[in-house]
Amino acid sequence: MNERRNFARQTLKWGGALTLLSMLNLPGRVRAAGPGNPLQVLKENKFLQRDDMADALKSLYMTYDSTTPYPHKFNDVLSKGQLRVLGFLMKKGMDREYVEHYVMLMSPVLKRLKKLVEKEGPDKGLWGMFEDTPSYQLFERIDEKQGERSFPCPYKGALENCKKWMRAEDFFFEWQDVHEKWCIPIWTGFAKEIGIKIIVQPGDMCTVKLA
Amino acid sequence: MKDKKLMKAAGTRCKTSQDMSRRSFSKKLMGIGFLSSLSLTSLPASALAWLDGGFNQREDLADALKVLVKTYSDTRPYPHKFYDALVKMHLSTLDFTVKKGIWKENADNYVQVLGVVVDRHIRKAIEKFGKDAFLWGIFERTSCSYQLYEHIDIKEGERSFPCPYKTILEQTQKTMGTYTITWEDVHHKWCMPVWNGFAKSVGIEIKVEPGETCRVKLI
Repeated sequence: MNERRNFARQTLKWGGALTLLSMLNLPGRVRAAGPGNPLQVLKENKFLQRDDMADALKSLYMTYDSTTPYPHKFNDVLSKGQLRVLGFLMKKGMDREYVEHYVMLMSPVLKRLKKLVEKEGPDKGLWGMFEDTPSYQLFERIDEKQGERSFPCPYKGALENCKKWMRAEDFFFEWQDVHEKWCIPIWTGFAKEIGIKIIVQPGDMCTVKLA
Repeated sequence: MKDKKLMKAAGTRCKTSQDMSRRSFSKKLMGIGFLSSLSLTSLPASALAWLDGGFNQREDLADALKVLVKTYSDTRPYPHKFYDALVKMHLSTLDFTVKKGIWKENADNYVQVLGVVVDRHIRKAIEKFGKDAFLWGIFERTSCSYQLYEHIDIKEGERSFPCPYKTILEQTQKTMGTYTITWEDVHHKWCMPVWNGFAKSVGIEIKVEPGETCRVKLI
């Protein structure tokens, strides 16, 4: 009996070690979920652990199933809402103060980012400005290159639609005003706090580069 | 008159608010429309341009799904949701306008700008289908709401939804501490003036019960 138990123990011990060795020899794609224990991967994947996706998918469906008078997108309300506010404050001559206030609101985040930039380099600043905050919900996609980020302008189409479907007096300003009174001052304000210098090239595809 | 009766019948057919999901409400509304196609076609086409079936023809879903995955993978310092950036935009604007003493003008401006949509879609829908069409129009019918509220529970004469502002304002204050507005400011200086403004523009009265689940009822 003891011999049988010892045999089982030995088998398991060496079997376990052998199993580990063979797992390490598995093709990379089998271990593509990442290093560490593959049995934990599902539990550690934050997206897969969410249990509130149903509402998000329904909202997405409702958005993308609405194509008249123009195809709606997930960033529609955010971009049109920002344009509405910009127009309102431009009329009051308060657009500059609004930008300064927004930079102030974000200052704790920007201070943390500054420390990261000092440690990891200026590209971290761009990462922080675009990919690490929910502002990625504004851009349909963000193309990343070292020292540069670019994305389709979310405001151009939105402004055209607002001018066409809403009251002209509420959307009296031009696309250039959006660059010069909102995007560029915001990003340069952020960059100044973070301690990096940037060049903004607005356009259908907007590009922000480290200077 | 026939449409009003049909719409009321659709409402009473749903025994609980769980039965009346957002989707089934729209199906029922469109069902009524098919039965009374003449009155429906007298609504502007753009009022019907909602859930118009264009989903399968979209070629830009990939980016939307990637942003959704990115959003729902982001759980620090709190689990982010699809409306995060929109809520923060409203909150930052409110913080500024409250500081500058122009929050009422901001709410009035919002009502005025979207008044075009109210005049174009909602007014006629109210005439055809009754007062509940007002709630339909400012909540489940518009992306301004379905991109803002996690879900909208529909009952005849009432809409309710989880407040999108509370958690985000709390978390933002906890991690940043730069906002001066309170949750009560959000109720009294943004949501309620906006909804009451829309209601007034179409001659309807509503009662708002703000809370973790916010409720808007026809009076």
